[in-house]
Amino acid sequence: MSTNSAGITLAGRLPRHKLKNRRNARLLLLMLGPSALLIGVFVVAPVIYAFYLSLTNTTLLGFEARNPKFIGLDNFKYLLGNGDFLSSLGKTGIFIALSAIIGQTALGMISALLLKNKWMRAKGIFGAAIVMPMVVPEVVASLAWASMLYSGPEGTVNMITHLFGMGAVAWLQQYALISIIVINIWRGIAFAMIMFQAALEDVPDELIEAARIDGASALQIFRVVTLPLIRGPVFLYLLLTAITTAGIFGLVYFLTQGGPGGDTQLVALFIFDRAFQFSQIGLGSAASVIMLVIVLILGLTYVRVAKVEV
Amino acid sequence: MTTVTKTDVKPSRASETATVRRKLRGTTVVSRALQYVLITALAVFCIIPFGWLIATSVDSQAGNILQWPTFTVDHYVKLVTEAGTLRLLRNSLIIAIGATVLTMLLGFIGGYALSRFRFRGRRFFMFFVLLIRVVPPTATIVPLYLMMTKMHLNNSLLGLILVEAAALLPLTLWQMKSAVDNVPLEIEEAAWVDGSSRVAAVIRIVFPVVGPTFGAAAMFAFVGAWGDFLTPLVLLQSQDLYPLSIGLFRAFSGFNQVDWGLLTATAIIYMLPPTILYMLVRKYLFKAGLSGAIKG
Repeated sequence: MSTNSAGITLAGRLPRHKLKNRRNARLLLLMLGPSALLIGVFVVAPVIYAFYLSLTNTTLLGFEARNPKFIGLDNFKYLLGNGDFLSSLGKTGIFIALSAIIGQTALGMISALLLKNKWMRAKGIFGAAIVMPMVVPEVVASLAWASMLYSGPEGTVNMITHLFGMGAVAWLQQYALISIIVINIWRGIAFAMIMFQAALEDVPDELIEAARIDGASALQIFRVVTLPLIRGPVFLYLLLTAITTAGIFGLVYFLTQGGPGGDTQLVALFIFDRAFQFSQIGLGSAASVIMLVIVLILGLTYVRVAKVEV
Repeated sequence: MTTVTKTDVKPSRASETATVRRKLRGTTVVSRALQYVLITALAVFCIIPFGWLIATSVDSQAGNILQWPTFTVDHYVKLVTEAGTLRLLRNSLIIAIGATVLTMLLGFIGGYALSRFRFRGRRFFMFFVLLIRVVPPTATIVPLYLMMTKMHLNNSLLGLILVEAAALLPLTLWQMKSAVDNVPLEIEEAAWVDGSSRVAAVIRIVFPVVGPTFGAAAMFAFVGAWGDFLTPLVLLQSQDLYPLSIGLFRAFSGFNQVDWGLLTATAIIYMLPPTILYMLVRKYLFKAGLSGAIKG
């Protein structure tokens, strides 16, 4: 590409396509400018503003609402010594680890491997069923589970556990965190499955066949042959799902609103609560900044590991 | 010729299946049966929560538990005759279609520019846009709310459309840039030689080739804006502007008696567009690998 270091050229080598620099710059600005502006104003600016707000005692109501003061790192000091925030960080960690890293990955991998079997019939129906939870809006997913987890003995889950001799349980009160973990596993199996199906396509059938003829069991084949070959995509999937799971809000808020007693108050719900229920904008922003830093580190790792080509 | 080859192949294939069938004994049968049981269990786990939604939406004795329905279409009739639900549906359509059109317009033009122009900072811009995708909306919602209030864009469908489009654009820009990359520049150049203008060449040559990706990208954009809950929850205050996601939430968690029939019927209508769209682009979904294209 013959590119003048300061200039802008069109791709392609023919000299007549090298329009005048200034004209190209204007064309580029016209084409890319609106996108950049929209992203800049509604995504980048809020990120920067969050950093600023986190250093102030801004509130929506009361005296500070009119003249917020710069208070340095006080919000962060408060948060890192605050039991509620630390426990919400911990719960978010548990939520990500159990639902995304373990549950979705394991069930997604099992689904992908089962649906790879050449002899299996009705793959389309099984696949469609597994994809459904991912396809529907999060509000619908939560609503469906509100009935599943109904506390009375007529609740669907309670009917099923009754078959195993267990009594009725108020799932969203007594086991709220476990409940939302199961719901999130349910919602995310399909994404894991699709990612793994794509990865498994690159595993040559002959290799698996050879191992089988050598007498390896299915588990051995997976551990020794398949898994090493798809380790890269699996690791990338784990990063990706950790990032997206960290931001989950609606699925949980709809069902529990963080309760009971803060049992399901993930960081996303903590931020929402502080900022919009207690109108502590500064404090909510500081929590946002902590979340942003964690997620951006994961994101940078992803871009690095994925060796994304531009 | 062909018939001969066909008859040649047939017996060998038949004998092949015969050997396979003969091999299917003992452990293989048990193993396959177990695998069917496992995949069936997973599929049932995935669809059973929808059972209540569907059954209750046509049940005259609608309640909050799964039961065999006493069939009726009253809830759906109520839905289309009641102003409240129709307004929710209208708002959702305005937001999702508005955001999709804006995203695809800017995304296609911007993606084309990113693919065809070489300029300083292009790589940086692409990486930056990719990194932006990981920023969770929950982390920016607080400052965004203050900014929107100051710009007098809160409590407005236009403001919400702009925010949704901005959130969707990074993915669309990447998708469209990659799609245009796959159209050889030579083909486009040939059209210029034929006397087409650059814009006409894009419309006639590039657009038909990137069409499938454009369609899939538009679907992702629509589904994303259609399903959003947090942004409208924070940015919209007046009930007249609520989309379906907020309407369902308010109806579910309101203090007044919940109308389960209407609620589930509304939820079914709400989940139909993304479900149909997904089924339409399913082939693409399963084959394209789409590293990271879906979520977010």
